[in-house]
Amino acid sequence: MADLVLENLTIAYGNVTAVRDVSLTIPKGEFLTLLGPSGCGKSTTLFAIAGLNHATSGRIALGERVFFDDRTGRSEPPERRNIGLVFQSYALWPHKTVADNLAFPLELRKVGRAERDRAIAEALDLVEMGAYARRYPFELSGGQQQRVALARALVYRPSLLLLDEPLSNLDAKLRERARVWLRELQERLNVTTIYVTHDQAEALAVSDRIAVMHNGTIRQLGTPTEIYEQPSDAFVADFIGSSNFLEGTVVERGASGSRVRLANGATIATSAAPGGPGEVLVAIRPERITLADGPGENTIPVTLGTGSYLGSVYQYEVSTPGLNFRIQTDRRVPQGDVFARIPPEATTLFLKSEAPVRNEEAAPVV
Amino acid sequence: MSLTAEPIGKPALDPSRWVMWGVAILTTVLVIGPIAPIVAQAFLDRPLYDDEATLTLANFVRLVTEQGIGIVAFNTIVFAVITTVVAQLFGAAAAIVIGRTNVPGRKWMGELLVWPLFVSHLVIAFGWFTMYGPSGYLTLMMRSLTGVTPWNLYTLTGMGIVAGLSQAPLAYLMCLGAVTKADAQLEDAARTVGAGPFRALWSVTVPMMRPAIIYSGVLNFVVGIEMLSIPLLFGAPAGIQTITSFLYEEGIQAAVRPDYGIVGAAALILLLVVAGLVWLQGALMTGSGRFITVRGKASRPSTIDLGPWRWIAFTGLFAYVFFTIVVVFAGIFLRASVTFLTPLVPFWNLFTADHFWLILDNSSYLRSITNSIVVSLIGGVAGTALVVIITLIARRSEFVFGRALEYVALFPRSLPGIIAGLGFFYAVIWVPGLDAVRGTIWVLIVAFMVRYIPVGFGAIAPALAQIGDELDRGARVSGANWWTTVTRIVLPLLKPALFSCFALLFIHFFKEYVTAVFLYQPGSEIIGTTMLQLWAQGDNGPVSALATIQVVITAIFVFVARRALGAKIYG
Repeated sequence: MADLVLENLTIAYGNVTAVRDVSLTIPKGEFLTLLGPSGCGKSTTLFAIAGLNHATSGRIALGERVFFDDRTGRSEPPERRNIGLVFQSYALWPHKTVADNLAFPLELRKVGRAERDRAIAEALDLVEMGAYARRYPFELSGGQQQRVALARALVYRPSLLLLDEPLSNLDAKLRERARVWLRELQERLNVTTIYVTHDQAEALAVSDRIAVMHNGTIRQLGTPTEIYEQPSDAFVADFIGSSNFLEGTVVERGASGSRVRLANGATIATSAAPGGPGEVLVAIRPERITLADGPGENTIPVTLGTGSYLGSVYQYEVSTPGLNFRIQTDRRVPQGDVFARIPPEATTLFLKSEAPVRNEEAAPVV
Repeated sequence: MSLTAEPIGKPALDPSRWVMWGVAILTTVLVIGPIAPIVAQAFLDRPLYDDEATLTLANFVRLVTEQGIGIVAFNTIVFAVITTVVAQLFGAAAAIVIGRTNVPGRKWMGELLVWPLFVSHLVIAFGWFTMYGPSGYLTLMMRSLTGVTPWNLYTLTGMGIVAGLSQAPLAYLMCLGAVTKADAQLEDAARTVGAGPFRALWSVTVPMMRPAIIYSGVLNFVVGIEMLSIPLLFGAPAGIQTITSFLYEEGIQAAVRPDYGIVGAAALILLLVVAGLVWLQGALMTGSGRFITVRGKASRPSTIDLGPWRWIAFTGLFAYVFFTIVVVFAGIFLRASVTFLTPLVPFWNLFTADHFWLILDNSSYLRSITNSIVVSLIGGVAGTALVVIITLIARRSEFVFGRALEYVALFPRSLPGIIAGLGFFYAVIWVPGLDAVRGTIWVLIVAFMVRYIPVGFGAIAPALAQIGDELDRGARVSGANWWTTVTRIVLPLLKPALFSCFALLFIHFFKEYVTAVFLYQPGSEIIGTTMLQLWAQGDNGPVSALATIQVVITAIFVFVARRALGAKIYG
């Protein structure tokens, strides 16, 4: 069918701007994730696409169909958009059985009885819930409710599937299985899907592309690999996985790389520096730093501090005068003085003025 | 993908906007309906249907100079203050004793305690009159035993105490909610830092009753100001007038020709005072968040063991319930069943069914009973339908005037019954074309509905808040318009609240009389108006018989509504 296009979408409540000038094009069949901390505007954006929020300005269109356009004053009510939405709480109607939950949207579309029964059976089989058609929602486990919610969102063949943190109420084990299953189902149905989550591991695992949002704007849009390996700014580097930020000053600039003097006085080779002042942050992920046997290129002497066992890896705090950061190793290392090597290709440089502000505690914008 | 349902076709006709605008306009008209004519009349020098009426302020001047409004205002305020103090004291004390201690018999005494809320003040006043009035059964008994009359109901203090005791159940219910829903951990915390159980109750839980006491206090003060029955029954014989009995006398009784201007002016002042009090109540309740302790998993507070003191508490509580509720109701039943009631002759020698036969044999008395039932049934159903749609529009739609509609719909809280009645009475004679409904039960139904919209709203809004709005959002996204969403998804989930709303409205309509005194005519009389009429003729036996019938029907209704409909009525 058609691409979903958001143009300059802005959503404000009074003088709080929840979403600021967001533009996105999502091709047919893509699995796009809106990722960000709570209050970043991801759910607000999702509900604006569904028509459950009113955008302040901008345009939302699915191919030829304009859902919202502030210039023409057009705003389709949610029931005319033919969208499937799975809520975080599932929102199964408690007074209807599983089959009746699925029947309701079909009745509204005046689908004949035989046709309806067949569609319901198909949708329930798709989510492997065919045996539960006569049950009421309260008789189902969380994982089963989540699947029924998905079946209800798919049964009327929506042109767009929206998922609002659908896995967040499941336990960790089930969540991992469910996301694999969800992705397979989406590929099979080839339905354009927008997925909202604050869980970066989930986002990296299921998405074709990820839009990282912060304070109502998209900070980076790209494939999971791009987002992880080439974060476009310090916020993204900090939010996706976790990064060390080492303060330093650019002493030499080149097209393919630069040299930076760190706070402890050592000078290391890094990737290319951004234009502007020489005060920079060198972002480097803990798992990319390696331990070396002795001095060498891009290697600095550090003191190994306390460590914690994270299951598959060990993480240690290391320090040298003026610098503190974390490293990850796959084996236990005795405390003491060691050498840490920072591979130039694993570094990303940002201007110091862009230092990430951790504001996860900021009041969530509804 | 093999699912075969076609994407959405032509949308079905969507009545949502029509419903929203229709209900919003209807509600506004109904609420403004009784107020506009009163405001107009207050500033007109002649009856408002008189074409030659001109604007004037003379009504207010005359009210102050000629009519001795000062003493009326003084009486009203003293009466309302005594009412409130008595109601709050008894209500709060009963709530603590019943809600938090192991006093014996607390369950059945708690049930009896709320009964005054089910019947009209007229019935209660009459019960008091029968037992404690100047020639009441208990009064005469006390006089023959001691030689003195220890009380006199025909004073402001006496009236205030009777009114206060009849309103105490309201304070009791609200305080009971506060003390029993308080988070047990708060008291436990006080215990761990060294407070004994009574100290913990007194220092932690009792202060948290403050919002409930203030809220029900203002409510009871308003009830005191707008109460008609007790001032009429006890005040009038002693020449004590309050604003409502003044309005009643001037509006209805005034021998030849009612003084409309004076009535309008007094009504407007009463309306403004009550509106101000209701506003004050809202203002006092802001910032009460620090008292809110109800959390998802709060456990119930423990019951305090009174030890041997529980028998003292029992005696006090029993005396309260027995002398102010059981005796009062028993007085009505007894008076209805005997030729005359006196402690000098054993009442079982005087049993008769004549009073009941008199009521049942007279077509207009009988009609007042059937009218009351019809008004309460139709009004209860129609009122529930109106209120639930108003609530859904106000709380669950994108209607631009949703909040405004809620304010309008809740305004009748500030509309005393006597003003509502007077206002609709004016409206019906003032607005061309409404003459057709004058003096019919339909105008009663409409007036009662308007007056009790806030009561219904109070029953439905909290239940609606319990239904997560993602359920409606899910329906909207699935393709349902607003009207389909609320009728197919929200209403079925609201069913228990709808029954409770209906039951509450039925009870309020069934006991209502003040709103009707200006509106009824022969043919549309209801139980309350017939009781007033019989009372004016001095027929105490038939008044009691009618009151008994009203109490019995109410009792049957409450029983059925609780059992069959599962309605929640006062606990």
